[in-house]
Amino acid sequence: MAIDFIDVVQAIIDGLLFGSTYALIGLGFTLIFGAMHKLNLAYAASAIAGAYVGLAVILMSGLPIVLTFVLGPVAGGFIGFGVYITCFRYMPATNMLAPLMASIGALFFIDEIIIHATAGSPLAFPAVMDDVFLEVGEYGFRGDLIFVLVTSLIAMLVLLYVLFGTRLGLATRAVSQQVVAAELCGIASHRTNATTFAITGVLGGLAGCMAAAAVGVISPLLTVPITVKGLIVTVIGGLGSIPGAIVAGFAVGGFENLFLLLFGVNQRDIYVFLLLFVFLVFRPNGLFGKAINRD
Amino acid sequence: MTNLKRILKPAVAAAALSAMISPALAEETVHIAGWGAKSGPLRSFGVNSEAVLKAAVKEVNDSGGIMLADGTKAKLEYTYYDSACNAEQAISVARKVASESSALIGIGPTCSGAAAAMFGVFQKTVGDDTDTGLQFPILTDTAVRNGLAKISQWTFRNTPNEPDMYDKLFAWVAKTYPDLKTIYGGTETDQGHSNGTYSKVIVQASKRHGFDWATGDIEGVTGDLGSGSAEVLTSSSNWLMADTNFSVQARAFKKSNADIYVISSHPFTTCGMLKELKRRRAEPKLLIGLTSSSSAEVMKGCAEAAEGMIIPTSFAPITPAAEKVAMLANENGGDADLHSAAAWENVMIIKQVIESVGIDNTPESLMADRRKIRDGLEMLEQTQGLIGEVQRVQDEGEALKPYVFVQAMNGMWTVIHDPRATN
Repeated sequence: MAIDFIDVVQAIIDGLLFGSTYALIGLGFTLIFGAMHKLNLAYAASAIAGAYVGLAVILMSGLPIVLTFVLGPVAGGFIGFGVYITCFRYMPATNMLAPLMASIGALFFIDEIIIHATAGSPLAFPAVMDDVFLEVGEYGFRGDLIFVLVTSLIAMLVLLYVLFGTRLGLATRAVSQQVVAAELCGIASHRTNATTFAITGVLGGLAGCMAAAAVGVISPLLTVPITVKGLIVTVIGGLGSIPGAIVAGFAVGGFENLFLLLFGVNQRDIYVFLLLFVFLVFRPNGLFGKAINRD
Repeated sequence: MTNLKRILKPAVAAAALSAMISPALAEETVHIAGWGAKSGPLRSFGVNSEAVLKAAVKEVNDSGGIMLADGTKAKLEYTYYDSACNAEQAISVARKVASESSALIGIGPTCSGAAAAMFGVFQKTVGDDTDTGLQFPILTDTAVRNGLAKISQWTFRNTPNEPDMYDKLFAWVAKTYPDLKTIYGGTETDQGHSNGTYSKVIVQASKRHGFDWATGDIEGVTGDLGSGSAEVLTSSSNWLMADTNFSVQARAFKKSNADIYVISSHPFTTCGMLKELKRRRAEPKLLIGLTSSSSAEVMKGCAEAAEGMIIPTSFAPITPAAEKVAMLANENGGDADLHSAAAWENVMIIKQVIESVGIDNTPESLMADRRKIRDGLEMLEQTQGLIGEVQRVQDEGEALKPYVFVQAMNGMWTVIHDPRATN
C-alpha cells in the first residue's frame, strides 16, 4: 500500500501519544536508578500488576470504573514498596549484581502470579474517552490517547514538584547524590529509598493503567515489551535523567510507529534497537545524561 | 504406659494388616500423560485442556475403566505437565514422560510451534533402528498448523483441517454475501499458526472463491495452498503477539476500504486490533478471524469490538455430548473450545484403541504396549467426535474433523452455519 505524507504524520502523532506511557515507565526506571544507582527490572511488571489489582478491585466491588485509574496506582505503590523490601533493602550494598538479579526474579515472579490469577486470559480494560476521535483536517487524534497523554503529563508535573518542591524530594536527591553525607544530615536513607520505590510504584501503576487503557485490553503479555521499552527510554534519555526519560519516551513512541509504517512490523524493532545502539556508542550518557550525572 | 500399649497394639496390627492386603486390593491403573501451557501467557490453553482431560478421565472411570488384554478392567490415571507452549520445554517434557514414566501415550502440547519442534525428537519411521528418536505415541489435542503429524510416525493429531475449513468458509461467504468483493487483512508474524494459516491458507482460499485483494493483486497468489505466501505478508498489515499499539495497522485496514477484514491472531492481539479498528471507525462489512480466536478469551477481552466476527471452529455446544463437555469443563475451572474439547475426544480415542489392541499394562510390556497403541491409532479410520464423526487420514496421522461457523453475537459465539448441512 502506498505511503503518503499524511500516513507519515499520522503515524508520528499516534506514536507520540502512545509514547507518553513509555515516558512514564522510563521515569520509574530512571528515578530508581537516580536514587540508588540500581536498575529495578521488576518495575514494568509491578506497573502492570498494579493495573490488574486496580481492575480486580473495581470488578469485585462494583465501584465506578474510572476509579481503576486511582486504585491501580495505589496498588502499584504497595507493590513497589514490596519489591524494594524483597529485592533491594537487604541485599549486600557491595554486590551490585544481587539486586539486579533479584529484580529479574521479581519480574518473572510477578508475571507468573498475574498469569496464574487470570489464566493468562486477556481482560477488557476501561478506557476514558474511548469513543472520542478528534479529526483535524486529514489527521485524527484518539480521545483515549489524549487522556493518556494529559494524565501522564500531570503525573510528570506532580512528580517534578515532589522531587524539587518538597522535603521528601530534597531527601531523595540528597540520598541519590551522596548517601553517607545525607545520613550525616539526619536523612534516613532506607526510608527515603522505600518512599522513592513507593512513589515510582504509584507512577508505575498509573503507567500500567495508561498502557492497558491505550490497548483496551490488559494481559500478562504487556510486561516484557513494556520492560524493554522502558529500558530503551531510560538509556536514550540518560540513566537518571528525568527530562531525558520524558523526551525519550515520546521520541521512542514516535520513531517506533514511523519505523513500523516505513519498514513493517518485522523490521520495526531492528530500527528501534539500532537507535539504542547508536546512542550507546555515540552518546552513552543519553540525551540528558551529562547534565544530571552524580558527583 | 500399659494403657498406651493396650491402645497402640491393635492399631499397629491393623496398620500392618492393611499394608499387607492393600496391594492386592489396589485397582490396576493405566497411565497417560498430558501436557500444555500451565504457565506463561498462554496458560489458558493448559487450564482449559486439563479441565477437559480431567472430566474425560472421570467419565471413563465412572463407566468402569479400560478393558485390558486379559479381560480385567483398569482405571485411567493422568499426570499433567507444564510445557508452557514453549518448544524447549515441550521437548523436555516429552523426553521425561517417554523415558521416566509409565505413561502409555501423551496428549499435548496444544500449541503448533511447540508441537512442531517436539515432534522432531520422535522416531521418524517406526522400526528404524538407526533412528534413536523417542518411541512414544502422541495424540495432540490441537496444534492446528497444517500437516504437523507427518513429522513422525509416532505422532497423531485430532485437529481440524484448516485448509478445508477456510475453503468452505469463503465458499459460503461468497454465496451468502454476494455483494462483498474485496478483502484485506493482517496477522501476528511471530506466531507460526496465525502466520502460516493466514499467509498459506486464508488468503489463497479467498482468492479461490473470487475475492480480490483490496490493494491490488498479490503476486504469486493463485488460489493454491501456500502460493505467494511471502508476498501475502508484505501486502498485509501485520503485528507481533505482544504488540500494544495497532494504530498504523488499523489505519492501513481502513485505507484499504475492503469489504472483508481478516484478523489472523490469538485473542490478546485480536482484541487490541479490533478495538483499534473500532476507535478509527474502520467498519468492514464482514470480519473473519483465526480458528484459535473462537474462544472465551476474546469474549472476555473485547466482546463488543468482536461483534459480527465469523470464525470456523471444530467445537461448539451443538450436540448433547458437546453441551455436556462444555458444562464439565466449566465445573473443572476451564472452558471447552476448539483447543481444549479435543482432549475429551482424545481420551475416548485412547480408550477405544487400548481396548481394541489389548495391552498387558505391566512394566515389562510398556514399550510393546506403546507400540500397540501407536499401531492401533494408525489403523483407526473413524472416531466419534463431540459434534460428529471424525475421519482419520491413516497414513498421515491426521484427522478430518467436522466444523461449524460461529459468529460473535451479543457476547457469545453463536453457530450460524453447519457446512455438513449443504454437503
